[in-house]
Amino acid sequence: MKKLFAALFVVLMAVQAHAQDKSLLDRARTEGKASFYANITAIEPILKAFSADTGVKAEYTRISTSKFVATAITEFEAGKLMADVVQAPLPVLDLLKARGVLASYRSPAAAGYPDWTKKDDRIQLFGIEYVALIYNKERVKAADVPKRYEDLTLPKWKDKIVMANPANHATTISWLIGLKENVFKSEADWRKFLAGLAANKPMFVASFGPTPAPIESGEKLIGISMPKYIVTKAPAPLDWARVSQPMMGTPRAIAVTSKAPHPAAARAFVDYWLSKKSMDILAKDVGEYVLAPGVYPPIDGISKAKVIAIRELSDDEIQKWGAEFKKIFDVK
Amino acid sequence: MDHTRSSKLTWLLIAIVGALTVCPVLMLVLGSFSEGLTAFGDFTTDKYVEVYTDPAFFEVMLNTTIFVLGSSTLSTVLAVFLAYLNTRTDIPFKFLFKIISIIPMMIPHLLFSVSWALLLNPSNGLINLGLMEAFSLDNAPFNIYSMWGMILIEGLLDLPIAYLIIAPAMASFDVALEESSRVSGASSWRTLFRITLPVLRPAILAAFILGVVRSLASFAVPSVIGMPGRVQVLATHLYEMIATGFATDYGKAAALGMSVLVASVTLIVVYRALTAESEKYVTIAGRGFRPTVIELGKARMPLFFVVGVLSFVLIVLPVAVLLYTSFVPYSMVPSARAFSMMSLKHWHDVLSDPISLLSLKNSLFLAVVGATLGVILSIFVAYVIVKVKTRASGVLDSLSYLSFSFPGIVIGVGFMWFFVQTPLYATIWALLLGYIATYLPYGIRPMSSAFIQIHSHLEESSLVCGASPLTTMRRIIVPLLVPGIVSGWILMASMFVRELTLSVVLSRPGTEVLAVQILRFSEDGLWGRLSALGIVMIGISTALVVTATLIGNRFRTV
Repeated sequence: MKKLFAALFVVLMAVQAHAQDKSLLDRARTEGKASFYANITAIEPILKAFSADTGVKAEYTRISTSKFVATAITEFEAGKLMADVVQAPLPVLDLLKARGVLASYRSPAAAGYPDWTKKDDRIQLFGIEYVALIYNKERVKAADVPKRYEDLTLPKWKDKIVMANPANHATTISWLIGLKENVFKSEADWRKFLAGLAANKPMFVASFGPTPAPIESGEKLIGISMPKYIVTKAPAPLDWARVSQPMMGTPRAIAVTSKAPHPAAARAFVDYWLSKKSMDILAKDVGEYVLAPGVYPPIDGISKAKVIAIRELSDDEIQKWGAEFKKIFDVK
Repeated sequence: MDHTRSSKLTWLLIAIVGALTVCPVLMLVLGSFSEGLTAFGDFTTDKYVEVYTDPAFFEVMLNTTIFVLGSSTLSTVLAVFLAYLNTRTDIPFKFLFKIISIIPMMIPHLLFSVSWALLLNPSNGLINLGLMEAFSLDNAPFNIYSMWGMILIEGLLDLPIAYLIIAPAMASFDVALEESSRVSGASSWRTLFRITLPVLRPAILAAFILGVVRSLASFAVPSVIGMPGRVQVLATHLYEMIATGFATDYGKAAALGMSVLVASVTLIVVYRALTAESEKYVTIAGRGFRPTVIELGKARMPLFFVVGVLSFVLIVLPVAVLLYTSFVPYSMVPSARAFSMMSLKHWHDVLSDPISLLSLKNSLFLAVVGATLGVILSIFVAYVIVKVKTRASGVLDSLSYLSFSFPGIVIGVGFMWFFVQTPLYATIWALLLGYIATYLPYGIRPMSSAFIQIHSHLEESSLVCGASPLTTMRRIIVPLLVPGIVSGWILMASMFVRELTLSVVLSRPGTEVLAVQILRFSEDGLWGRLSALGIVMIGISTALVVTATLIGNRFRTV
């Protein structure tokens, strides 16, 4: 009897959720569109699928991380925030939450996500901006591929490395701190790694975007970069070093805005974004590491890799460590 | 024009130009003195203290000074050389040289810098590899990632601006002055240094100053060439300030930008002082204006060769690299394998992408409409600056440089802080007004150089004969200004086609533009699509330049 009641309860809940979904979608269609501010790239296929499946148009404004907070807060304070949904690294959404920009919304589509991804009733994590050692597989012999992060300090890599500027690139700064907290046994070991990496004179570029080109062309052989380029830049001869230590990255987060011009469309969009279908597109077309259970990018070996989210660093910490790395890496 | 009318016109222009340029700068001033991340907060001077007591500041300023003076000198010297050969001598293939001396302006600076990195990087730069093989060298002879590399690339990029300011003045130059010098026994060199260059001083100084201001605000070269070479200048120092952390404080960046603004305004004041007695530079009066051609004789072919090499290095190599990159599947050193893998995939991706196509349409609209409105405004502003010459016209001159002088990565935020208070926010009109406000000097400078050389006797004669001031402007002044108008229009239109710094902040769905789309490709590391769209951009700019030149020629002959 208990089982029967339980089954009945589940059916009732499902019917109610379906009815809610339908009502939400009807309202979203009436509103017409959802406006999405994001720093994530190449997501047009998801927007297209959302419009086709729901009949609601999705408008995408891409804003770089450095301009995200300034743009969102300026518009919000002037009463002109056009975004219904915002997506950015977790620290950015935390800053927006503190300013009252985010609304409370717990999407039913996040039900299967791990608990740690549900930050609070406003922010949902859906991916990790994962970082790895990416190398040119035509120019680096299998035996030479690093087995541990420490291998990057070997003299054979001198003048052969490219990485984003560790003095100012927030994700690289966070990644280096992630190594200290998650990989190296002591601070002394970590500092030795930093000194060795600096001695190899890596070439610095502004962000991750320009890192794969010099590796593909052979100008450099290896870089601290993102595995997603193996997908987006195919057939470039890129591969990732399967180091014995975990991969790390900054969590990617999404939320609905508190004064969303299209509140129902905003919620419908977040539901769709977190669905398995969208996460599949994000992983397969864009090579992103997503947190929907069982969904992986089509990169050999990634499904077995340990990928962890880096602790959230405050701006003060990032600036402090940026200044420290500037000295260590002799950035002028 | 009588004094009252001149005065009214001056104040009207001060109101228009002031509204366009002061508002965003004012927002940045407010932001630099406000606590928090927006333009409105409690008063503080902390941001100034923090920025100007940074221990790295002096080294950055020293590097910046070397970079800015080096690149501006290079661009000005090259521009004088090319303009002289093109406008004053019988060097062959003139039309070709005129076009190629302005093509670098059409190439997005980011792409131009990347092309040069592919040619001259010390690991596998194509020129370095070629030289190492030819001369059996162990190490690459050149390293583009250095201060000299930055000066070279920025100098080449600023060359078109300098050329388009100097060439019209050179074209309007009365050769009788030079002939008098020679008749009096002076050699050609002495004539060049004692007559030609001094008479052209306003145009040369204007070109140099514009080059200084531009290279101060430049970001592509310091980022692509300077950052890997660890040469930090003001733009990358500002970028570091903005990029480190997530809560970007643009007020702090604005506080640093104020020093650039002060430097630029000082330069303009110096420029006005140095060219104060503009009558000295008038060469088109009512009598005997006739630009004549100097025969180069035996020097003709060697000089043609020099210009040919320069043009090859300036245009053919970077454009060839772009074309090549647009066909290969990923960044590859040229080889038989690379050529066998070529396809039209990147072109197909770009030309079937609705946002790229919309960007193309928007950029074309902004270039044609924006440059036309900008040039009309510039004619009146340049007239007041050169011919009215009151204290108010000096104010107008400085105002026109306000937005332009601010480093690009900061001024965009100033415009955002301003436009968000108006109904224009997130519309194409915000972009249009922002472009005109920021790049007004591109229209004003060539026009001023041309106005300086037109004697007021011409205007006075027309007025005495009963023509109204507007008729005088239309029938006498404008036709003589055609070279300046064409230069100004080309400079503005080409700039608007590739404008990035304002667009990246102000562009929204529906108002996407080419440069923002190119930046997106660059951020995603998609160099093939980026090159394909870059070539489309160069094609559009070339079409605009050719059209403007043809229309200009038609008006000149009327």
